[in-house]
Amino acid sequence: MEHTEIIIRDNGTLTERIIRERDLAAEGDVLEAMTADVTRTIRNAMPIPGWGMAHANVGLTDTLWSVPIDRIPLKARFRVINGVLVPMFASMTDLEMPMVWQAPKDVRLVFVVRTEVSEGCVVVGGNWLFAFNKDNNGYRLPLPNLHDECTLCTGQFESSYASAQAGVSASLEQFNQSKWNSDLMTTVAESQKFFRFRPTNETFTTLPIEAADWTTLCAKVSTAILDRAIL
Amino acid sequence: MKKITVQYGVDSITKQVESGFTFGDLQDSDSIKAALGFGDNTKALVEGIEQDRRTVIPDGATVRLETAANTKA
Repeated sequence: MEHTEIIIRDNGTLTERIIRERDLAAEGDVLEAMTADVTRTIRNAMPIPGWGMAHANVGLTDTLWSVPIDRIPLKARFRVINGVLVPMFASMTDLEMPMVWQAPKDVRLVFVVRTEVSEGCVVVGGNWLFAFNKDNNGYRLPLPNLHDECTLCTGQFESSYASAQAGVSASLEQFNQSKWNSDLMTTVAESQKFFRFRPTNETFTTLPIEAADWTTLCAKVSTAILDRAIL
Repeated sequence: MKKITVQYGVDSITKQVESGFTFGDLQDSDSIKAALGFGDNTKALVEGIEQDRRTVIPDGATVRLETAANTKA
């Protein structure tokens, strides 16, 4: 389609302007390229037994599943120091114990799993653990086995599953069963102020974090994955 | 002098810097580190594209810093 306009410029010149329009056959490709980074959020997409609801952030090639969690299983070596049980991740001699750390309300934890579909299977492409403060800034907890951008070092792990629910559940089960060792450890001092337990007669109680502001014991994080996490 | 905006997480600052200020200078700046709370292990992106540390930051640019991945020791 073509049409002609006659316009008068500011200086009084008369100008002919020819406008031609045609539809391009590449709209699908163009739209796909323009929306490559656009994602959609679906809250309460599926339940994960034992953990709660998983929220989905759906991208063009992958889905990021966010499971808000209220505890961290800490299967590690511990020692009692001044009546408080604290982790000794690098120790080879202290007692290994399956502790469960209960997160205080102001430490909002999110376990994140990325999945992609490949050859009919759901493939788990990584696990992350983020802690958010009240201002929605993300932090790396003072834990070993956690990369700077909060990727969890999960060890040997089956990556292909029949469904996303099976993949996310398996990731959390791996998280639940894994031992925390000294890999990727920076300093244990922050860990021992963060993860503290009081031994009682038959059990252990999670003690408050030994800092006025828990974020001072953590590293602030900013990544594309964190931006897609859903609290 | 030029004005740049730096984002890290949900926080951002706008700052006047020298005209030759590079992405590496930004990533190493103690004052901007203190203001935004990032560490030594970062990458700088403009419009989602990672930038070379030696490149001079254009005037008016918005730079997004992200935590870079580290490798297992």
